[in-house]
Amino acid sequence: MKTEEYISSGILEAYALGELSPTERAEVERNLVQYPELKQELLLIEEAQEKLLQKSAVQPKASVKENLFKKIDEKKPDGKVVSMPVGDSQISFWKYAAAASVAIALVTSYLAYNYYGKWRSTENNLNDLVAQNQQMARDYNTVNQRLDKIETDIKVIDNPAFSRVVMKGTQNAPDAMAYVYWNENSKEVYLSIQSMKTLAQENQYQLWAIVDGKPVDGGVFDANVAGLLKMKDLSGAAAFAVTIESRGGKATPSLETMQVIGNVVKG
Amino acid sequence: MVSRLKARDKSAFEYLYDHYSGSLFGVVSRVIQKEEVAEEVLQDVFLKIWNKIDNYDPAKGKLFTWMLNLTRNLAIDKTRSKEIGKEGKTKGIDNFVNTIDRREFTEQGIDSIGVKDILTGLSEDQKFVVEHLYFKGYSQSELAEEFNIPLGTVKTRLRLAMKQLRSIVKVI
Repeated sequence: MKTEEYISSGILEAYALGELSPTERAEVERNLVQYPELKQELLLIEEAQEKLLQKSAVQPKASVKENLFKKIDEKKPDGKVVSMPVGDSQISFWKYAAAASVAIALVTSYLAYNYYGKWRSTENNLNDLVAQNQQMARDYNTVNQRLDKIETDIKVIDNPAFSRVVMKGTQNAPDAMAYVYWNENSKEVYLSIQSMKTLAQENQYQLWAIVDGKPVDGGVFDANVAGLLKMKDLSGAAAFAVTIESRGGKATPSLETMQVIGNVVKG
Repeated sequence: MVSRLKARDKSAFEYLYDHYSGSLFGVVSRVIQKEEVAEEVLQDVFLKIWNKIDNYDPAKGKLFTWMLNLTRNLAIDKTRSKEIGKEGKTKGIDNFVNTIDRREFTEQGIDSIGVKDILTGLSEDQKFVVEHLYFKGYSQSELAEEFNIPLGTVKTRLRLAMKQLRSIVKVI
């Protein structure tokens, strides 16, 4: 055994403090016998401990010592039993007292039981109410978040700086339709899906802007989104279109999959 | 000395009391706030020493260490029996530890200045461990749990603290 490691783990301090489990103690005691350097170290620890407590001593009152030695002297066992003389009148008094206390005990235990039941049902009711309250708080939060979303959407739709571009279905999807709200100055682009079918898991829709005759990526989206969807900022768009691409989008559009397209109407 | 105690020699026991009751009461009275209760525990400690002296084995450590272990166990047991049930133990101990601090470490004068002098040589971490283990009635595992310190760290901190204390007590 490496005694330095053993010592530096602090196990001897714990031993001197009386903190170890019986098995740990037994192990330390075995090691103390086997390794004299451990014994030496323990002694130093014990001395430091003793000094620390000497310095912090608080003298107890003299009466504590007196009582202690009285107790020790008393311990010599000589069990004398002193019988109590009891008169007749005292007996009948104690009889009534006993009867009265039994009656009181019965009444109080009934009351205790009764109130315990009431307390339990009150506590159950309270727990139900707390649970309901939490549910309501959650619902309220959800509604609140939806309201916030609708309010921001309305601000966009209502803002004259945004122009609406209607994208209509191509031959690929005659019934499809989506709107783009585009602010030419701030370059912000929002998309609103009117009618677009749900795609397979590995595919996503991708928005494109036609800028100087070339398609520019406007971001990808899925069909099942309610309200306005913030897309990438774009400027100089002459038209917007949506294609179907593999999930995550591509650098150039697969034009043969085009779903909807619409020109920007200047005005 | 030990053999005289084992032979139930009362004058040896008195010598023991006169020499060590102060050191042990220093622990008890800091862990237990109420003076009467602390005195009662000290009395129990010495009664136990008197009755159980046959269990003491000098090969396993110093007599003082054995007495200290008895003392800490009784004192900690007492705080548990008193505090549990009223409020959570943690809070209970915290509360009365604070009162003890005020009483013992600021108001009590000379002997507590002695402790402070010794402990000022320690780092904050070391002081914390020594105070809680020796004067606030914490066991190592309680200290680890309550203050989120790994038990191994508590042990090595106490080790470093005791090492530091050795050189300090040599000087004083």
